[in-house]
Amino acid sequence: MEKSIQTKNITVKVFRFNGDTDVLPYYKEYKLEVSQEDVVLDVLNRIKWEHSGSLSYRRSCRHGICGSCAVKVNNKGVLACKERVFDLIDLFGDELVIDPLNKQRVIKDLVIDKKDFWDKYDAVQPYLVADVEEEPEKENLVTPDEVEKIADADYCIQCGACYYSCPVIEVNPEFIGPAAFAKAYRFTSDNRDDAKIERLETVSQMGSGVWDCVKCFECAQVCPKDVNPIDKITRLHQQTFQEGVAESNVATRHAVGFKHSIEQHGFLDEGGLVFYSEGPLGMVQHIPEAVNMFKNGKIPMPWNLPKSKNLEEIKKIVKISSTAKF
Amino acid sequence: MVKEPILISATAHYSMGGIPTNIRGQVRKNRDELVEGFYAAGECACVSVHGANRLGANSVLEALFFGRHVGKEMVKDIDNLDFGEVSEADAYNMVQEINYILRNNGIESVSKIRDELQESMTENAGVFRTEETLKKQLEILDSLRKRFKHIRIEDKSRLFNTELQEAIELGHMLDYAKFIVEGALFRKESRGSHYREDYPKRDDENFLKHTLAYMDKDGNISIETMDVTLGKFEVKERVY
Ligand SMILES: Cc1cc2nc3c(=O)[nH]c(=O)nc-3n(C[C@H](O)[C@H](O)[C@H](O)COP(=O)(O)OP(=O)(O)OC[C@H]3O[C@@H](n4cnc5c(N)ncnc54)[C@H](O)[C@@H]3O)c2cc1C
Ligand code: SF4
Ligand code: SF4
Ligand code: FES
Repeated sequence: MEKSIQTKNITVKVFRFNGDTDVLPYYKEYKLEVSQEDVVLDVLNRIKWEHSGSLSYRRSCRHGICGSCAVKVNNKGVLACKERVFDLIDLFGDELVIDPLNKQRVIKDLVIDKKDFWDKYDAVQPYLVADVEEEPEKENLVTPDEVEKIADADYCIQCGACYYSCPVIEVNPEFIGPAAFAKAYRFTSDNRDDAKIERLETVSQMGSGVWDCVKCFECAQVCPKDVNPIDKITRLHQQTFQEGVAESNVATRHAVGFKHSIEQHGFLDEGGLVFYSEGPLGMVQHIPEAVNMFKNGKIPMPWNLPKSKNLEEIKKIVKISSTAKF
Repeated sequence: MVKEPILISATAHYSMGGIPTNIRGQVRKNRDELVEGFYAAGECACVSVHGANRLGANSVLEALFFGRHVGKEMVKDIDNLDFGEVSEADAYNMVQEINYILRNNGIESVSKIRDELQESMTENAGVFRTEETLKKQLEILDSLRKRFKHIRIEDKSRLFNTELQEAIELGHMLDYAKFIVEGALFRKESRGSHYREDYPKRDDENFLKHTLAYMDKDGNISIETMDVTLGKFEVKERVY
């Protein structure tokens, strides 16, 4: 059966603001006919080339490799040259609102100042640190198993879609953010790299580091290259313990608390977890939540605390697999 | 099986040829002379390592190897080089080019001229060319170059002006297109990635040569040739 190219009519509202001439931003509406082939960048290009030449946005490669074209459509972070308009119509209907990744950082229309993103990216030393011979005689071999460890962390194109969608970034400007964490992991898992410890120290600080991620999975959702930054963040958690970089603080104790609970009971004792990570005072602060948890059966009384039947075996497993020193 | 049409189009994968250099990356002024203090390396340059067709993956040679090699050669030269003379008029020319585009109040659109340029170049000077299609393309180019003088852009601001950038780029594309067409017209043979349907065979007697092309102020192109240093390898017909 032969099919012809399908088209649909849509209304696109685009965020416009020129820092040179405009006092306030505004939305400009355009009506377009789009085809099943069109991606968001085609829509932007058509507006620029057929309606308003001054519309400004970053783009270069047009095939998902340079990372310059990320924007938000109806608040969803997308890579403009990859995201199909028909898919967005399925999600949001025939009215699409195109915004910059972050409205506070707009230079002009959809172009933002990504300085904060790049500064944090720089902070993890996003390059191989190694004594490389000036004139090497042979390749530096990396086995398939070693490559496997880097996982998909190497595919990041620095588009910033994850970073400007991360809820922690919105409230905590210190937070290094998903892209830079994924990049840090790309090198901490590379056996040729010599700066593993330094990088792990950078990413395990309280406030800016991996422990402040709230595990919302937004970064994994929006990433156009399937880098899955939250997965890399979890791996960084593990590496900080394996390498003895993790310091005893409320976040790491929370993580280790899980281990203690399993070691003692074979089950997770959520009340005990708070006591372990935050101490008695912390316990008191959480009383309202505790009451709620108790009502929902999540906190058994100490005398009712069950113990796993195979506790001895569980203890052995914990002992051989644990890397925590506290 | 469902058959669905998909959109396809030609794209520029690599620019063969380029700024002629010697093996140290020094830019050639012509067959015999160099331009002092001017170096090129990478895709923009033509040190002639690829023959008449850059084969897949070989760009690495120009971009990585020559990037490094030419950089090192520049370091060797730098102590013996002085700044060249720059006149105010040179800077003025560049500012003029930008102001012209910003202020010009014509009726032509950059994107329309660019579309026509791209389509006609693909059609007439693409993989398969003949004298007829190339001559036709020269006429089209002349008319597009005239129309380019009458463009108008909407964005007059000095902030992140991508419309201005696109206009400047179009001006350069129109120049380069002319080099490509005149070079293809001159070479009455087929060699490497240049395929003339009216001259399908390689002609070493007349064309085992580099093409050096110069554009004058009015956009006219003149052509010279330069001998090819073959080194160890003989040129052979491509049979795969
Ligand atoms: C889609 C595609 C796939 C390819 N695949 C391969 C492949 O598999 N194998 C292979 O060997 N080759 C491949 N190539 C070719 C290869 O990628 C290029 O030839 C190579 O990257 C060129 O490198 P370069 O550093 O010389 O130039 P570029 O990478 O083009 O760098 C030029 C730089 O100059 C900057 N610039 C331009 N104008 C100015 C200005 N006025 N002021 C300051 N800066 C400026 C540009 O922003 C750019 O950063 C491919 C090319 C394309 C387009
Ligand atoms: S999972 Fe963590 S890093 Fe990713 S978006 Fe959520 S808070 Fe940010
Ligand atoms: S991790 Fe994904 S979303 Fe984040 S910057 Fe890299 S490519 Fe973009
Ligand atoms: S334009 Fe390069 S990633 Fe979209």
